[in-house]
Amino acid sequence: MRSPMLFNRSASCTPPPGYWQCLLPGKGEGLGRNLLFNRRATLVNLALMFGLALCGITSLSLGTVNLEIQQVLQALMGNGDPVSRFVIGELRLPRLLAATLTGAGFALAGCLMQTLARNRLATPGIIGIDNAATAFAVASVVGTGISVAPPMMALAGAATATALAFGLSGASGTRGYRFIITGLGIGAIAGAMTQFMLSRVAIDDANAAYPWTVGSLNARDPLATQILAGGCLLAWPLCLMLARGLTTLQLPDAVAIGLGRRPGRIRAGCLVVSVLLTGLAVAVAGPVGMVALIAPEFARALNRAGYVPLLASALIGAIVMVLADLAGRVMLSPLEVPVGIVTALAGSPYLLWILLKRPSGHLQ
Amino acid sequence: MAIISLASLVLGAGPVAPGDALAVLVGEGSEEARFVLMELRLPRLAVGVTTGLALGVAGALLQAMTRNPLAEPGLLGVSAGSAFAVSLAILLGASTVTLTTLVAQAGALGGCSLVIAASRMKGLGNDPIRLVLAGATLSGLLLAMTSLLMLVDQRAADEIRFWVTGSIAGRQWSQLTTALPSLLLAGAMVVAVAQPLASLTLGERVAAGLGNHPGRIRLLVVLAVALLVGGATALAGPLVFVGLVVPFLARALAGADIRKTLWLCLPLGPSVVLLADTVSRLLAAPAELPLGVVTALIGAPVLLAIVRARRMPTL
Repeated sequence: MRSPMLFNRSASCTPPPGYWQCLLPGKGEGLGRNLLFNRRATLVNLALMFGLALCGITSLSLGTVNLEIQQVLQALMGNGDPVSRFVIGELRLPRLLAATLTGAGFALAGCLMQTLARNRLATPGIIGIDNAATAFAVASVVGTGISVAPPMMALAGAATATALAFGLSGASGTRGYRFIITGLGIGAIAGAMTQFMLSRVAIDDANAAYPWTVGSLNARDPLATQILAGGCLLAWPLCLMLARGLTTLQLPDAVAIGLGRRPGRIRAGCLVVSVLLTGLAVAVAGPVGMVALIAPEFARALNRAGYVPLLASALIGAIVMVLADLAGRVMLSPLEVPVGIVTALAGSPYLLWILLKRPSGHLQ
Repeated sequence: MAIISLASLVLGAGPVAPGDALAVLVGEGSEEARFVLMELRLPRLAVGVTTGLALGVAGALLQAMTRNPLAEPGLLGVSAGSAFAVSLAILLGASTVTLTTLVAQAGALGGCSLVIAASRMKGLGNDPIRLVLAGATLSGLLLAMTSLLMLVDQRAADEIRFWVTGSIAGRQWSQLTTALPSLLLAGAMVVAVAQPLASLTLGERVAAGLGNHPGRIRLLVVLAVALLVGGATALAGPLVFVGLVVPFLARALAGADIRKTLWLCLPLGPSVVLLADTVSRLLAAPAELPLGVVTALIGAPVLLAIVRARRMPTL
């Protein structure tokens, strides 16, 4: 839906197949604007938005206290009985918002990273960005004397891991599997450091930090959520700017340059946005890397080949996160299963299937 | 290895000076130093030697079988399978040492199933990195399941959490002796399989032409790896990267022949583990770093070095 192609030609041309045409009147002959909407993407995104709303309401109504749909809607409007107003407004709505934002952030970061590395396995979770962000954030939480807020530390960790993965993978840059294995090594080091810090601190602190290190929406910090919301607002216009260039990034570099793009600049932009989103999302929910793998995968399956479905990825990421959180809350109730475990249990078999069955792990 | 063993005995946190420790070794020294050395550090040394042997040999076997320099029990999910099985056993209330070893070995066998599946698939064997990614995914899945178990029971969680980072501290002689028979069995299997395995690295057809059965060799190797890794994991928790570093060093020293590599793994494996353990004791004295952390810190750069090598080395 958000991929209008602007043409400055006369309004009389017929739209290409698969597109909707929208004519905007201009001030003179031939100055009218002709907006083209990708039909399939528009329909898919509308359906996904509806789905997200549905999942959101379900997630608001289910839990330790089950509420009727009407109660939920009334509480959302600001009336209804005080109990449901409290449950919805104070407990479940902030959590739902955090789930939506982190899911969208992870998925968007994953989609960008996959496209720029031309490899569907190159997601922030696999190349160690999640782990490094967690390690840095844990360092600030368990009191190593660094008094910087976790979101900033997580961001620093994400940036460090990306820089290391790039620097160490040598001349091949983000291409190929070397980048991914390098990231795997960095992730292993970061994971070991997190384990080490958790084993050093008092058992209560470790227990408090533990759900968060496997990825949970329970121990989130309101400030971190607000910062993530700010980051998403900042990242979305950048994504729209990058969106058209991204499609050409799937072609060989020579072709992209011939089309007037600058592949290096687009890659750098993608990398910055995905590091920003991953770092901030990890600061809220911990490393829930599987979302970044699964959501763009589904989004690509729903859309036409060759199209980079940014909005659809973000929406599916949000849906997956909301559903995983809901499943974690009700599955072993009253015990709460962290959302990271739910996504790992659901996503790992799928990832294994990709790796073992498909003839090649590449996007194209 | 002798030097490192000595260093591991002599150095460490605690009120025993290196001089006193040396005195105990030649038969003198104070009562306290004798206690520290004989009751604390000697079992630790023995466990370290056993774990290093088992993991080094298991890594060399796996790498030769899959012809993949990155195949490592920790990376391929064998250790994670074993850790999950032990966590399950701890949760269900098993505390006897014998059971732990058996359960860990069964879990390792389950983790090996990935390797079996992968080696049967055409194409994957030629792509070392995809096998490693698949292994990392399997490890992730098993770790998530272990975490789930830890959530269910807080008491078990504390026990598991210390154990999953990997450590050879505070082990008893009894634990070692229960693991020993199965490790010896695995050693016998390794001796039997070394020669045919060397022919298998030339290719399946060559191996069959030389009168060996590739399927039977694989089965033996997988069983031996499961016994070795399971035994080591039951003793020390899942230690990643030991099985990567040791054969890497051995190949660098001895060349690609699996028989020479295996021989060289015998002194190298214990050396690496003991070195890591001594470092873990000295770095953060008077506390200690978990051993798994140190091996990961040593091993991950080796992984990077292998991947960075211009031509991916094949076996």
